[in-house]
Amino acid sequence: MQEIKIGSAVSNAAGIAKGHLKVGDLPDGRPVEIPVLIGRGAADGPTLWLHGCVHGNEYCGTFIIQEMFRNLDASELTGTVVALPILNLTAFRRKQRMSPFEGYGGGDLNRCFPGKPDGSLTEQMAYAIYSELKQHADYLIDFHTAMTTDVRWALYANAEGAVGDKAEGIARAFGFNSTLPAPMDILGGSAMMTAARDGIPGYIVEAGGKGPAFDPELVLDGSERLRNVMRHLDMLPGDVTDHGPLTYFSNFAWVMSTRGGLFQRRVKCGDRIEAGTVLGQYYDLYGEPDGEAKSPHAGVVLAIHPGPVMANGETLIHIGLDPREV
Amino acid sequence: MDEIRIGTAVSTSTGLAKGELHVADMPDGAPINIPVAVLRGKGDGPTLWMEACVHGDEYCGAFIIHEVLRTVAADDLNGTVIALPVLNLTGFQRNQRMSPFEAFGYGDMNRCFPGKPDGSLTEQMAHVVYGHMKKHADYLIDIHTALTVDVRWALYANADGEVGDKGAGIARAFGYKSTLPAPMDILGGSALMTAAKDGIPSFIIEAGGIGPAFDRETVTDAAERLRNVMRHLGMLAGDVTDYGPQYDFSTFAWINATRGGLFQPAVACGQRIEEGTVLGRYFDVFGDVVEEPRSPHAGIVLAINCGPLMPTGDILMHLGLNPRDI
Repeated sequence: MQEIKIGSAVSNAAGIAKGHLKVGDLPDGRPVEIPVLIGRGAADGPTLWLHGCVHGNEYCGTFIIQEMFRNLDASELTGTVVALPILNLTAFRRKQRMSPFEGYGGGDLNRCFPGKPDGSLTEQMAYAIYSELKQHADYLIDFHTAMTTDVRWALYANAEGAVGDKAEGIARAFGFNSTLPAPMDILGGSAMMTAARDGIPGYIVEAGGKGPAFDPELVLDGSERLRNVMRHLDMLPGDVTDHGPLTYFSNFAWVMSTRGGLFQRRVKCGDRIEAGTVLGQYYDLYGEPDGEAKSPHAGVVLAIHPGPVMANGETLIHIGLDPREV
Repeated sequence: MDEIRIGTAVSTSTGLAKGELHVADMPDGAPINIPVAVLRGKGDGPTLWMEACVHGDEYCGAFIIHEVLRTVAADDLNGTVIALPVLNLTGFQRNQRMSPFEAFGYGDMNRCFPGKPDGSLTEQMAHVVYGHMKKHADYLIDIHTALTVDVRWALYANADGEVGDKGAGIARAFGYKSTLPAPMDILGGSALMTAAKDGIPSFIIEAGGIGPAFDRETVTDAAERLRNVMRHLGMLAGDVTDYGPQYDFSTFAWINATRGGLFQPAVACGQRIEEGTVLGRYFDVFGDVVEEPRSPHAGIVLAINCGPLMPTGDILMHLGLNPRDI
């Protein structure tokens, strides 16, 4: 069996190998080392690359990956699962999206791939990670978390040919109803798009909420869906669950708030809305209703601001456009 | 009718007067003005002082006060409600407990009362607020928010004589089951204890969670309980709802985490636990369980850290000790 070595995680036999990959240094010279798991099956097969916390405070993915690994029996596995459950470790510790050690912007790790060996901190981290990803991955699944507990949507890189087709297969096996076949001209610098251009089918899961919106049930559900993807890829034995038809979108729209105030949402994730649908109610500091937020587009709610307070320019709503059942 | 003037909120007749109280300045010299509402009833009666967001990110209280202001008509009211729904405005704006402009500690406003005219920023804010409270309040209700959606507990200053008895009466009328008659030697510098020592019966509500754990039902329910307190005090007409027996406690214990790691709780608010009850599980970065922390005391869970991350020293649990039915 060929050795797979990612940082100090070294796998040369069936089983689970653990270690750390150095992706940068702290200002005191200590290394930033992120955890790596390699699950190696007894039989040959593809390599599925999983990662989470590319945005440091999006914890659901970390827990989904870990839950899957705790239940992984290498003797049943065909092929290899490489998992990096916490990509942006210093942000993870600080409960924030970007690293506290990033000096000059450019800190969104999911806009920094494939990275630069001599770029900003986050670009250098992306470079260290992506070099390994490109060398090893046959498929990429990248786990994110949005704002509220009820977030459930996904997207895949809709590349031409087999790369797009294989990613769509993963999307169907994971089976979140709201799914965007992502046009190749959006999300530049994401791991998903970068990998797809290098011929690696890429898929992003958006599941659950941050902070106290974390939900253990979602973790269990997400890890079972992940196992279903592995059955679909013939990496695990068993029948593939059919999650039924999905709702596809042409694209998504981020809608930012153009005012601040106390805010209470009126729609849930998965709701179908029209242009003009009331999304929520603003209140002044005395509790008087002070204007409604309305949707500029028709579509399906992918994410909605949980409130209860809102500043200008926060993400009010994320809408999937032109929904159609496929 | 006597004039009540708090900042620019001036009440000289029945109805709702709104204004702002200048409590400090920002570094650019712009004033920090906090909202004040004075609701003046038709009939004579006591003055009930309500305040919230003494910790800036504890938003449930602001919304509970707003709900009361929107649902109580001045014509139905005997006496006066003075409401300051957002005490720590710059903390509120920043989604954090303490003001971002507080430089050298002393930033927990609920340890700064009665305040100092020449102290730290937060001590000066407390001084301005407390001067008005001491002058006007016959009763104080201070509303806080804890970690998770299911938080429901309260405490009153268990002072000798009438001050403590009236505090107990408010606690009964509000009717949260878990209620601490707070010994007078804890929570020094809180508005609750400072007011009680000045002869003002005082009550703190802990309701709901911060961030995405904000919950509309908690707000609606607590506003109705506050109207019940106002019926109990003779400020509103109608029968006082009897919420039934309560638990009281001898005191509470804060349990701090003595290690860090990924964390998932195993107990819920209101649950009765024993010494040795497993409170949750810590995981390492690979997802393996590394420790199950146990309760050092028996009691009732008042608040539990929802995870999913825990640094050393974070509040793992807040426990009511020696519960007894009353």
